[in-house]
Amino acid sequence: MIKLVKKDLKLFLRNKQDMMISFLLPIIFITLFSFIFGNMGNSEENDIGGLVHVVAGTSVMMLLFSVAGIGGSLIDEKQEGMLKKLLCSPMPPKHILYGKIVFANIISIAQLSIMFIYAWLVFGLDIMHHLPSLILMIIVIAYACASFGVLLASFAKTRQQVQGFSTIIVLVMSALGGSMIPIFVMPELMQKIAVFTVNYWGIQGIYDIFMRLLPIANITFMSRVFVLIGIGTSLNFIALLMFKKNILKIV
Amino acid sequence: MINVSNLRKTFGTIEALKGISFNIPQGECYGLLGPNGAGKTTTISIMSTLIKPSEGEVNIAGYDLKKNPLKCKKEIGVVTQEIALYNELSAYDNLLFWGSLYNVPKRELITRIDEMIKLFGLSDRKNDKVKTYSGGMKRRINIASALLHKPKVLFMDEPTVGIDPQSRNLIFEVIEKLHKEGMTIVYTTHYMEEAERLCDRIGIIDNGEIIAQGTLDELRTSYSMKESLVISFTNLSDESYTAIAKDWGDLQRFSDTIHFYSMNIQGDLSKIILKCNEVGLDILHIDIKKINLETIFLSLTGKQLRNI
Repeated sequence: MIKLVKKDLKLFLRNKQDMMISFLLPIIFITLFSFIFGNMGNSEENDIGGLVHVVAGTSVMMLLFSVAGIGGSLIDEKQEGMLKKLLCSPMPPKHILYGKIVFANIISIAQLSIMFIYAWLVFGLDIMHHLPSLILMIIVIAYACASFGVLLASFAKTRQQVQGFSTIIVLVMSALGGSMIPIFVMPELMQKIAVFTVNYWGIQGIYDIFMRLLPIANITFMSRVFVLIGIGTSLNFIALLMFKKNILKIV
Repeated sequence: MINVSNLRKTFGTIEALKGISFNIPQGECYGLLGPNGAGKTTTISIMSTLIKPSEGEVNIAGYDLKKNPLKCKKEIGVVTQEIALYNELSAYDNLLFWGSLYNVPKRELITRIDEMIKLFGLSDRKNDKVKTYSGGMKRRINIASALLHKPKVLFMDEPTVGIDPQSRNLIFEVIEKLHKEGMTIVYTTHYMEEAERLCDRIGIIDNGEIIAQGTLDELRTSYSMKESLVISFTNLSDESYTAIAKDWGDLQRFSDTIHFYSMNIQGDLSKIILKCNEVGLDILHIDIKKINLETIFLSLTGKQLRNI
């Protein structure tokens, strides 16, 4: 499995387009949205709120787009014959999916980390005082989002399907989950629907750290951590079942 | 080395394999020929552990495929029809990755990669990305990637599709070398001349059944197929044709051409020419049509392999 992860990392680092989508594009969006929405308030507290919302919302949304692309690489491997060759090797078939999950998690953690480091360096977001909570939240958001990407790939039959589904699902989840507009300005019904999105739990977790200033051991904060772990594990479980059903149908 | 017994595979209501059986001894190159949908890929897929059979037994290198799939996988190398390589990686990195899946110790793997790259004539391009390679070069690396763990059995599914003659020749030479070294090879192809050149024995599969198998000579003899001598004349008349037909019963006339059929056309050649001279026929052109795999395949299946 480690060999698969190493291979995927090598491929990722050599593909300029993937690098741009995963790292440069989110930075551009954060910069843009921070200038537009980050200074909307007239007090220091509101300024931080705007910045936190932009960083959290944009990071999660862009991460979902990136992981959909990573999941799509599984479909590419099937269509180009690599999966067939992998299945002929002595490696257990499940490891192909596990390898993809681990790889998606590594890229997701790297992407979120870069977003927050950028927000710290350029916009002065104080990540240093909340480092343990932030690291934990980054890991669980990455886990949940990475699972979403792998699940998408295990359902789809072609790369085009992955792209089509991911665009619709990510945009809908982002709109409902608070990546575009803060949850508290939405109608009550929308706020209830929002809890079914990865974005909601991730953004609320980041609000807990920077705006509600909850400590890592706080029950509310930890409940969000467990919900994200639960989402990730459920999605991975479904992906594994679908992987056996769809992806392994080679002939 | 390979024993396949009463192998059946159904996909829903479609019976892709209807109980095929064959044995391949160690060191043999066995050609599997058949039109699309005949069951060739299903057979290869079952033998290379990609799909499970509905019924029947497959034994590879002494291991039962159902009971010990992992041990079978370690003994086989699979050259897929698709060029299964990562385009963004170099040939060297591709080989390093595919070889590592078989747990070949790193130092040994590096030595083997160097050997393979040299064998396939790609030493000067080994660090270039595969996406910059020609189709033939990619095919060569695709084959090399299946050989790194020194398999006892090599499955090759149409490994020369769409490549230049130079690469094709190089691939043939490598296969012949592997064959000489004692590797057991199962080779599927649409090119009859490839099967004739490379394979010791050939199995012809159609509609999920093996309808004939043996060496080319065995197939030729067992189906009593006749060679033909095609002679064009400048002055062929009905009278001269009748005179020849009186002595030579097995023949056909097509305008100014006569097709003479015989089990040993080369032996009968002088007799036929002598007879033609006797009746005063002037020969314009002579062509001997020998029995080849194409003729046998056509006769058995009623289909031309490459046109299917």
